[in-house]
Order: sequence, then structure tokens, then C-alpha cells
Amino acid sequence: MTARRRSTALIGDDNTVVAGGRTVTWRTLHKLPQLPSPAAVLVDNGADALAAVRHHAVHGTELLVATGSRVDLSMREELGESGFAVVIAKGDEHSVTPAKLKRVEESGRVWLLTSGSTGRPKRIGHTLESLTTVTTQQQPRTWLLPYAPGTYAWWQVVTISLTQADQGLVVIEPSELETWPLIAAEHGVTAASGTPTFWRQTIYRDTEALAKVPLEQITLGGEPVDQAILDRLREIFPQARISWIYASSEVGASIVVHDGKAGFPRAWLDREPDPESERPFLSVDKDELIITSPHHGAGLDGAVRTGDRVEFVDDRVLITGRLDSDEINVGGSKVSAGLVRNVLMGHPAVAWARVFARKAPLVGRMVAAEVVTSPDLGPITDADLVQWCSNRLPDYGIPRRIKFLDAIPQKETLKSDV
Amino acid sequence: MSNTSCSRLQGMNSHALGSVVMAELTREQIRDLMGAVMKAQGKTLPAEDSADLREIGFRSLDFSELALRVEDEIGDELNFDAPGLRQIAKVGDVLDFIEQLQSA
Repeated sequence: MTARRRSTALIGDDNTVVAGGRTVTWRTLHKLPQLPSPAAVLVDNGADALAAVRHHAVHGTELLVATGSRVDLSMREELGESGFAVVIAKGDEHSVTPAKLKRVEESGRVWLLTSGSTGRPKRIGHTLESLTTVTTQQQPRTWLLPYAPGTYAWWQVVTISLTQADQGLVVIEPSELETWPLIAAEHGVTAASGTPTFWRQTIYRDTEALAKVPLEQITLGGEPVDQAILDRLREIFPQARISWIYASSEVGASIVVHDGKAGFPRAWLDREPDPESERPFLSVDKDELIITSPHHGAGLDGAVRTGDRVEFVDDRVLITGRLDSDEINVGGSKVSAGLVRNVLMGHPAVAWARVFARKAPLVGRMVAAEVVTSPDLGPITDADLVQWCSNRLPDYGIPRRIKFLDAIPQKETLKSDV
Repeated sequence: MSNTSCSRLQGMNSHALGSVVMAELTREQIRDLMGAVMKAQGKTLPAEDSADLREIGFRSLDFSELALRVEDEIGDELNFDAPGLRQIAKVGDVLDFIEQLQSA
């Protein structure tokens, strides 16, 4: 089977790529040796991952690229048994473990690993074409690339740079996450995409440094996006376009909201399909978001149950979290952890919050929270937050145990599993 | 990582349970925690053990919160099945019950 390849790839071959302190272009990026096909290329830095992508764009070889830390030994075994040679790339050096199963390559196929937030990561098949969801001509921009190589969000930024002219990239390695605004300001980054946790951490660490980055486009995704973080970014960047995107490896980028509000308009649900546009079809079944998307992964055409829970608030549909963990049953009364989190993060002194169920006598479960307070606006006490919540939530939704953390936790995926 | 206070662990009673040493709160420490639960609701815990829970607005959610606070302090889960169900109507009943749970 041959996957369709996109003919527009490499239009961005002369775009600037800043990685590991070096400024090159896609064209002058170091070359990987001829890769086997299929190959799972495991990297520990962004430059090698981009080199693997360019190799794929030129040669069409079947490719999975991911950070080595996301692919443990047993998963490497599984990849070998599924026909992938496992390539450990490190600059000009690389090692290859041949595939255990010989099979015909799927030319043009790109594989992604799901985040694994609901269990073991799954492989989802795409192509450069299906991953390239921004197809309208963009004004010249320099994009920040803070995501872990191989994730859907990473591919979204990478394909913009690879397929459009004047779309530079500034790669941020994990070791540079704490100081990325300095690097971004130095290289004139004008567009940046990150999770809400990523943005919160940056604001928490150094708002002043962030404000010096000349951002014109700010994008959030990968986690539920709340109004408080959108408002905070608007304060810092009053002129920028601020967007949030609902995207996943399975259904692609399916919801894009530019109006500066959390959630999406209720009117977007159950709209008649428009054959002229690539608009996904959105619906809700028993609180679960259902998406039929033209940007879906291989074999995932038709309606896909996302596993994400929604709540209706006025004329908006809020995505509150995962269906299996968002709803907390407190003595028979149900409350959304996502909505409680939104209330907590709406407090001016709260920089980050996680809300979860805790086993409790009499009522079965109680709402509990972990909170990081803003260094500028603290200190606050748990009583302050309980008071804040009691004016905005029913009794059973108020977090009864609140633990204060010293720093915002963040994983390699830039998420914090809220 | 956490700066949740564990200061009440100082001065607690403890008894050996096998090889594990379990901390136990005194009645006065439990009363302090109960007061903290009330305070977070903007209420005050009366000094008298005879105060009626309904009258002071101490509800099942508050009782559950108190249990969690006790668990956090002693670093262990309370076994609510052990003493069996009983009527809890007064402040003193709450303190008795939690005391009994700790030693169950």
C-alpha cells in the first residue's frame, strides 16, 4: 500500500531553522545517512528529528520519529516485530537495529505515537499531506518549536515550515524550556504554540522576558484551554492573534478558535457538512465530543469518539477533560474537575491548578486540588481559595483539600496531566 | 515539593503497630482540625462539646473533609468500617468518633 504524498513539501526548504545554537535552513540541515524503510528514528534533539523529516520529504520512506525517552525497550521490540528498523540518531552518527519482520514499505507513510495519556501509546498512520492542516498562505513568520519531536503538535508546526515559504523555525530543546523567551527574542520569534501548562510556566517564571518576544500569533492546545490563561496572554500581548486548537493524532486539528474565548460556539455542533471546506463535523453524545474529521489518521475516517468530556456553558461548548477522569461523584452529586480547575485558575493569584477526586468517608469522593500560586500575587491560603470557589461552585464542587506546590509540574509533552 | 503544613505531627502520640509506627492525633489536635474546617467555611467552632452539629452548620461534607485532614496529618487512611455506624449529632461525637477510628 502506498500513502499519498504531498507535492508542496519542501517549498519551505530555504526557511531558517535555528537548532542547538546553529542557524541553518531545511536545505542545509545536516543529512542523515540513507534510512531504512520503514524506520523508527529515535532522537534526543530537535535537529536530528528535523533531519529525519526532510529525509522523508525527499525520499518518501516510511517513517516514525520520536524522542528515545518515549519509546521504551519493549516498544522498540514491538516496532521491530512490526517491520521497523530502529534507528538511534545522533548527529552524523547513528545505530540501526534491523527489523525483525520483513515487509513492504508504505511509501509516504508517517507514523505518530499517541501521547499515551490513556494507556500505552498507539501508532497512528498519517502522511505529510494529512499532517499539513495549515494550507492557506501565511504571512512571514518565525515559529517557536517547543514540542517533543514526533508529537502531533510538533508535526503541525514542522509542516507549516516545510510546506510554506518564509516560515522559520526556532527549536527549543527540553534543557532550554526555562529560558526560551530569551532565545525567542534573540531570533525574532513571532509565532508560538504551546500547551496551557507551557504558557503558564512561562508566565510564572518570567513574564517580563516573555513580553519581550515579538509574538503576533499565540496558539494553545494539547490540554483543556481555560479563559484565565487566554485573558492573561491577552494582557501581555494585546495585539497578537490568540488561538486555541483542539487536535489529536487520531482526528487531526479539528477545532480552531480565534475569538479569545474558552470553548467553541455551540452553533458549531451538528452543522451541515460543507463539501467546499475541510471543516470537521462536531457532535456530542452523552457528554462526549464526537468528531468526523478530514484530517484523521489512517483507518480513522468516520465519527471518532474522542474520550473528551464537554459541558455547555451559555452558548459555548467547553472541553473539560478526559471522560474517564473528569467527572467527580461527591455523594451522588456530579461535578466536572475541569470546571473546578477553571474556577481555581480564574483566581488572580493562582498560576496553575490540578483538580482530582480523593477517596473520602461518607461521600465516597471529594474534590481535591494542587495549586501553584503566582509569585507576584501571593501569599494566599487554602481558606482564600475555598472562599473564592464557594462563590462560584456548588458546595460539593469546592475543593476541600488544597495542596500548594512550589512549581508547575510539566512533562516532556509540555502537559501536566490536568 | 509540597509546602502543606505537617507541623501538627510534632507532639503527637504514637504507638507501634507491628514494625510501623503510627502517629495519632490528640483530641485537642482533632478539635483544631475541626476548627480549621469550620474556619474555611467562614464559621467558628464553639468551645463546647455539646454543641449541635446542625445548629453550627457542620455537615457531612465537612465531616468528610475533617477525616481527610486527619488522614493527611497521620499519613494513613482511617478505617471507617471498624467502629460501625453510630449517630453523630454533637461536636463531642465527632471528636470521639475520630479518636476511636485512629485506634481501630
